[in-house]
Amino acid sequence: MRILRSVRHKACADGSFMKEFLLDGPVTAAFFAYLADFGEVEALPGLGEGFYRFERADWFSIRGMAGDTTVEVRFNRPAMDLTMDFVYALFGLYRDGDPDLAVLKRREQALAERVGKRLHGA
Amino acid sequence: MGVMEPHRPIIYLNNAATTWPKPPEVHEAVNRCLALPPFGSGRTTGTQGEDYITLAREALAGFLGAGPPEHVVFTQNATDSLNLLIQGFLAANGDGCHVLTTALEHNSVLRPLRELERQGRIQLTILPFEDGTVSPATVEAAIRPETRLAVMTHASNVLGSVQDVRAIGRVLEDRGVYFVVDGAQAAGHIPVDLRTLPIDAYAFTGHKALFGIPGTGGFWIRDPEAVAPVRFGGTGSSSCTLLHPRGMPERFEAGTHNYPGLAALAAGAGFVRATGPGAIAAKAERQAAFLVGELRQEPNVVVYNDRPGLPIIAFTVRGMEHEDVGFVLARAYGIVSRTGIHCAPLVHRAIDGGVGCVRLSLSWFTTDDECACAARAVREIARNADPQVGTA
Repeated sequence: MRILRSVRHKACADGSFMKEFLLDGPVTAAFFAYLADFGEVEALPGLGEGFYRFERADWFSIRGMAGDTTVEVRFNRPAMDLTMDFVYALFGLYRDGDPDLAVLKRREQALAERVGKRLHGA
Repeated sequence: MGVMEPHRPIIYLNNAATTWPKPPEVHEAVNRCLALPPFGSGRTTGTQGEDYITLAREALAGFLGAGPPEHVVFTQNATDSLNLLIQGFLAANGDGCHVLTTALEHNSVLRPLRELERQGRIQLTILPFEDGTVSPATVEAAIRPETRLAVMTHASNVLGSVQDVRAIGRVLEDRGVYFVVDGAQAAGHIPVDLRTLPIDAYAFTGHKALFGIPGTGGFWIRDPEAVAPVRFGGTGSSSCTLLHPRGMPERFEAGTHNYPGLAALAAGAGFVRATGPGAIAAKAERQAAFLVGELRQEPNVVVYNDRPGLPIIAFTVRGMEHEDVGFVLARAYGIVSRTGIHCAPLVHRAIDGGVGCVRLSLSWFTTDDECACAARAVREIARNADPQVGTA
């Protein structure tokens, strides 16, 4: 799955920065299940074709409806420059439901150290 | 039409931010304005160009019952108007006074006043509200000998509650306090007759219930001498002098006007006047009551304003973040709402602990079917948020 472009940007009242991404295909319940490896996923499957929200504290959240080709990503601004690339990786490496988890986990671990150091000094 | 199909019709319920759609008259006015050369003082346009600035001034003065059209000043928006009035009042009257405002205010009032307080130029009291309104007695009790200015909203942009500016204005007038009212939400929704209201200045915006386009607004001022100009420049008049003219409306206007914007504003105000503010208010009241009634039936929905004076419904869904509710409304139902704290942090501090809520806001163009769809959508979301609620 690829991010084609970001279609809307907005600075949010809670200090986060929202980007709406247009994807090359619709998101699915399976995609959000895959994201659960990297954070918390909440699901309300009875709403439309299913509402999902992924949350990685201090990094970003991803909201989406199954079947939709756009998702809303809210970045924690102080770490946005570090985490943006990982968002692209999460989508980009999810190829036909067969993501390379080992690669992503290595990137996640390296990134966690940098984000932690910046936000919490540890 | 399927939920995720592109180009599905939207139900636009974010009219308290900016109204949409606009009346056809507004589209036509903008097109007409752009199709002809601008008319203005000192410009040899010939006979084709319309004097949109004067037309708009007269339209707004008539609509607001404002007396001389020259006392209607055009700005970029209500925030701009309020800044000019607040800063200009201090420029005319000096620093050090006590100022009253309310917890219902938008940041367009709170931030200019807080900034002046931070600079040590004013003392500020923020009055609390009860059931969405600030009582005249609360205002009266807060007045000190050094109180010179009160700035308050005519109607809350979160709760839709309309303030009794007549009664409050009488209290302030008796005590010699200058009264600035923020009419950003009210103008166009409810009848306003400034000739009969004890108000000194009234700020409005073009792009909300007056059906203009963004980038226009203004204020009406009873006594221009009470507020000093704080913006200077070209006016197209008295150009040989290096001092800014003090006559009205040039006293407060500098630089080129937003011609197409003011053409739109005149047409929008004309539309509201022709439709009838009474008819607009009656429809809004009926539709808001319907939505509140529907949402109230859902045990998972918390409605913050039972009897809004403007068609604004503020609510949250238990078990869901307001942003999630807004997202699902948009993506699954095609309903545009507004979530968050709506630039009114003190209102939210009082009603929901500062977390924020979902706001649905209607306009004259909102249909009963759209209200029914919105009610169904919110109730469906609420039932899915916590399936245990309401079941035996």
